[in-house]
Amino acid sequence: MGSVKSLYNRNYIKKHALDDFSLHIEAGEIIGLIGSNGAGKTTLTKILSGIIHPTSGHVSVMGFNPWDRKNEYRRNMSVIMGQKAQLWWDLPAMDGYLLLKEIYQIPAKEFYTSIDYLAEYLDVKDQLNIQVRRLSLGERMKVELIAALLHKPKVIFLDEPTIGLDLSAQKAVRSFIKEYRKENKPTIILTSHYMDDIEELCPRICILRSGRKVYDGGLKELHIQYADSKVITASLATESDFSQLINTFPSALGEITGADCQIKIQTPRDKTMEAARYLLNQTQITDFNIKEDEVGTIIEKILSREGHQ
Amino acid sequence: MIRYARLYLHFLRFAFSKAMEFRADFFFRVVMDIIIYIVHFLFFSIIYLHTPILGGWSIDEMKIFIATFIFIDAFHMTFFANNTWWFPIYINRGDLDYYLTKPVSSFFFMAFKEFAANSLLNLILAIGLLSYMISNHPVALDLSKILVFILLIINGSFLFFMTYFIFLIPVFWTHSPRGFGDVFYSAEKIFQRPDGIFQGFAKKVFLYFLPFSMMASYPTRYLVSPTDNSLLLEILAASCFIYFVVYLLWKKGLRNYSSASS
Repeated sequence: MGSVKSLYNRNYIKKHALDDFSLHIEAGEIIGLIGSNGAGKTTLTKILSGIIHPTSGHVSVMGFNPWDRKNEYRRNMSVIMGQKAQLWWDLPAMDGYLLLKEIYQIPAKEFYTSIDYLAEYLDVKDQLNIQVRRLSLGERMKVELIAALLHKPKVIFLDEPTIGLDLSAQKAVRSFIKEYRKENKPTIILTSHYMDDIEELCPRICILRSGRKVYDGGLKELHIQYADSKVITASLATESDFSQLINTFPSALGEITGADCQIKIQTPRDKTMEAARYLLNQTQITDFNIKEDEVGTIIEKILSREGHQ
Repeated sequence: MIRYARLYLHFLRFAFSKAMEFRADFFFRVVMDIIIYIVHFLFFSIIYLHTPILGGWSIDEMKIFIATFIFIDAFHMTFFANNTWWFPIYINRGDLDYYLTKPVSSFFFMAFKEFAANSLLNLILAIGLLSYMISNHPVALDLSKILVFILLIINGSFLFFMTYFIFLIPVFWTHSPRGFGDVFYSAEKIFQRPDGIFQGFAKKVFLYFLPFSMMASYPTRYLVSPTDNSLLLEILAASCFIYFVVYLLWKKGLRNYSSASS
């Protein structure tokens, strides 16, 4: 009945994918966009790359209005979407590259040098003449990366480049991006749900929630600003040391948990040194570590704060 | 222009590489289309059993007309049909994204990316059929008119595609699986009817609004009737109008393109 009623009487809810949002990125910078699903990350990427029009606002990338879709702009940027392929499914990647050579009018010498360098680095030289659909997910992402970088873009939009990849493929893609950036210095806007991608690649992050920016700054500053605790882990020498510490550790210095001579103390940031000193003085320790709260945990905390601006 | 021609050569190469995997499909399509062509000729032959003239044309003129619309159909199937088939899917699935970020016309990609190599034999067959009908026409046809006629039927093929596209572009707004493509398919049979059978308002609609009569019927009329250059002007005006409408709708559509969530 409800679906019939919706034919003539429909309630519309207006939702802004991005609202009251501003961001400035320096040339050559790499920034990570973080947020839950539906936070507006991909919308932002699509607006910046000229795929969709914003309903209002002003955007300038390399001095271009992206949705003017000027060829000069499009020749200098690239979009890589982990969940979508730009290469032709039924054809070898090399055929797709030849088409891109024509699209971007890349001189032959430069084209083959780039292919050699990129394929060598990503270890897919033997995969270039195999139909894309026959490649593994990791190999597919690598050949897609080559496709997106052949024309040496100045701005690269990387949307979930490691999604669905196994750990070693993720690592390979990350180390390639790092290396590529070091040599070519493009501006990179990276969207990822994998904190390893963000931590390894992005000194600066922008956190979005419901289309609004809730944090824009360095990863280190994120810890200082938002991580209110640190984690101490230690291995104790004897079982008696362990049980004594568990029973006597002052609650003012943090919360202690553990088993089998391994302990973990979640300590307030300003009490970290005091807690560490207590631990070292009171027990015999065979291993000891102090870590910042994990980035994922901090971001989770930020995203769950209601009404935070 | 040369750059686009080179890009098209890549599309052709890709199409043939893919088609080689499905060789049986080549022959299946040829057999199927030969049956359809025979049905077209039978349909009009039966009508001519009851009347010597239809829409002002004799059976010999009608044969050229039938071969003309068969050519346009084969041309469409070879160059455009796969693209029109994929277009709503590209829009609804957000696959247009990549073409919008490339420094080439996104319309060019949407219109020409998919060449149907497996329909090429049908096109060759249609060209053969049309050549046969023209060369066996009882009245010798002027060579210069034949050359203009060739241009007109190529234009007719583009006109057919563009008119179809007008019915597909609303998918930018409706996000329906086929746009209004099915409406076009119901109406497109009109281009397989001689314009002479339509009168009054319907005639005007099929000439100037949905120019089905400009696709095959007017070029045939130009070829088989005494020279009438006003037909050329009418075709030119209708073509410019349709191409301009597609251009405007495409621009509007792109502005409304919402891509798809990742």
